[in-house]
Amino acid sequence: MDGKRQHHSSFQQLEKLGEGTYATVFKGRNRQTGEFVALKEIHLDSEEGTPSTAIREISLMKELKHENIVALHDVIHTENKLMLVFEYMDGDLKKYMDNNGERGMLKPHIVKSFMWQLLQGIHFCHENRVLHRDLKPQNLLINNKLQLKLGDFGLARAFGIPVNTFSNEVVTLWYRAPDVLLGSRTYNTSIDIWSAGCIMAEMFSGRPLFPGTTNEDQTIRIFRIMGTPTERTWPGLSQFPEYKANWQMYATQPLRNILPQIDEKGIDLLQRMLQLRPELRISAAEALNHEWFAEFHQPAHPQHHPQQPMMHPHRGYQQHTVPSQNVYGNYQG
Amino acid sequence: MAANYWESTQRRYWQFTKEELAAMRQKLEDEDPNLVHMYPLPQLRHINIYLNQQFNRLAKRLGVRQQALATAQVYLKRFYTRVEIRRTNPYLLVATALYLACKMEECPQHIRLIVQEARGLWPETFHGQDTSKLGECEFFLISEMSSQLIVHQPYRTLTQLQGEFNLTPEESQAAWQAINDHYMTDLPLLYPPHIIGLTAILLAITCYNRQNAAGGANAAGNSGGLVMAANALAHAQAQSQARAAAMGGNSGPGTPNLTPQGSFAGGNFSSQGGRELGDGSNPTDPKIAKMQRFTNWLAESNIDIEGMIDCTQEIISFYDCHEQYEDLVVRDNIKRFIKARGLDK
Repeated sequence: MDGKRQHHSSFQQLEKLGEGTYATVFKGRNRQTGEFVALKEIHLDSEEGTPSTAIREISLMKELKHENIVALHDVIHTENKLMLVFEYMDGDLKKYMDNNGERGMLKPHIVKSFMWQLLQGIHFCHENRVLHRDLKPQNLLINNKLQLKLGDFGLARAFGIPVNTFSNEVVTLWYRAPDVLLGSRTYNTSIDIWSAGCIMAEMFSGRPLFPGTTNEDQTIRIFRIMGTPTERTWPGLSQFPEYKANWQMYATQPLRNILPQIDEKGIDLLQRMLQLRPELRISAAEALNHEWFAEFHQPAHPQHHPQQPMMHPHRGYQQHTVPSQNVYGNYQG
Repeated sequence: MAANYWESTQRRYWQFTKEELAAMRQKLEDEDPNLVHMYPLPQLRHINIYLNQQFNRLAKRLGVRQQALATAQVYLKRFYTRVEIRRTNPYLLVATALYLACKMEECPQHIRLIVQEARGLWPETFHGQDTSKLGECEFFLISEMSSQLIVHQPYRTLTQLQGEFNLTPEESQAAWQAINDHYMTDLPLLYPPHIIGLTAILLAITCYNRQNAAGGANAAGNSGGLVMAANALAHAQAQSQARAAAMGGNSGPGTPNLTPQGSFAGGNFSSQGGRELGDGSNPTDPKIAKMQRFTNWLAESNIDIEGMIDCTQEIISFYDCHEQYEDLVVRDNIKRFIKARGLDK
């Protein structure tokens, strides 16, 4: 199966990288190869065995192998601890923007490369019927080759939208889709696209697009820019649990006024990602085919983005299509 | 469940040939021949029937849905390809596999409740277990499965395709039942879920009859239906080969490369193979039409028909072997090694 069974002691534990709800993450070094890794140490709880979030993350990461998803190398079981060994990434997008951006703003070609990679990762998840559900700059890991990878699948799919369960840990609302804010329980892949749109705007401007503080505030901030929806513009709107008949009515603002840094094609893509109605939001596959990414669609000019070798949008994902009745046979053998 | 079967760990690591499976099991027995000798066990399918019953009893008490129950059974099968059963308390494993499967299938159960219900069900063999034992065992289970916990089930194929084949509610029910039953065989470790799902649909179409609603897809009682199933597969196979031949002999990597009806030889079907569908029946019978549609679909879809033939035979032979099953024999055999080795404490 995994072949090797590694021991805890085969890694040298270095500095702490972060602390999550159910785990502590350390930088580590493989004693044999010298290679850096991220060691995620899971705290076990006698009242619930191995935490569901950990089980969820491990099992998903075992299935999702993609260059834009952080790789799980190994799972080490010791007496009473679980240690996940991930590929080492130098930092996350939040830190990258703080350290390398100009007041947080990234250069347009960097944004485009990151968006391309982000959408590749999302597309791969979606076609494997996995929702990430918690995309934000802190969960997008960046290495010094400027590869971007989706990380932290602890909240993926399994347990509803993350809520603020721990008083000391605020789960950010900033990237949450309006349909989710309105109480939809039938959300789908489109929620990750909304988050990706928010992240794109933030990379260009250096500031979060919708930095809300409460559910209500988050909703209103979205409406202030995207316009307040009505039953006419969004049929079924009044059926949402969080619908309010007395929302302040805002007109839609052109995104190009708010984000003058973005070129016209980029604005067009962003507009399609930030549709209030989830069914109108562009899919990851469509987004990758958007003309804003035209330079990635030309395999003849790889010098544009040497850090991203797999640039052809059709290669790699058509063969992963979820099996439907008439394609079963193509996958045999 | 999430993720794509074709790229899955299930396909890459947990699908074996019969020979591989037999070799793994032999290896486990060879590690301690004494143990095997001292505690003889009935045939594996009978143990599986017994464990299936225990799963069902516990799941019923907890109100666990079928999907999680199915996943739990696959976990246990995987686990016992790595660990000799006589070294374990199978009751603890049943409870733990169900507990873990419920977490995975997003219908979590509280650990205390599981332990409490298991103690009530198996007072003699589970009394010494508590939540920390279950937690420990969960750890062991995850580890032995190399944390590969996502299981693709045949139910999905059934729900996707029941419309395509116009299955009646009774037929869908029968197919569902056949899928439930296949967890008592080795099939989940041998074939992809869609092959099993399609086999279940085939059995439901051919073997289900209204007079025998309670029997579900219990194929053993319906030999006419079986002949029909066999014929249908032979037919589809021939058709698919004809298609491949027509495409210039370039059959591609996925096309099964068999001699017509070859796989029926030696089985119940040998004398019937190759005859026309629904031999001797009224050609306007809607069942025949349904069968025809299914056969055509199979032939066009490039499905592993040989695999389906084998699945059909496995399920039928399982129903045969079910008739010799005796609950008490298995229970006592398991109890003997649990008690003698102190595995209940």
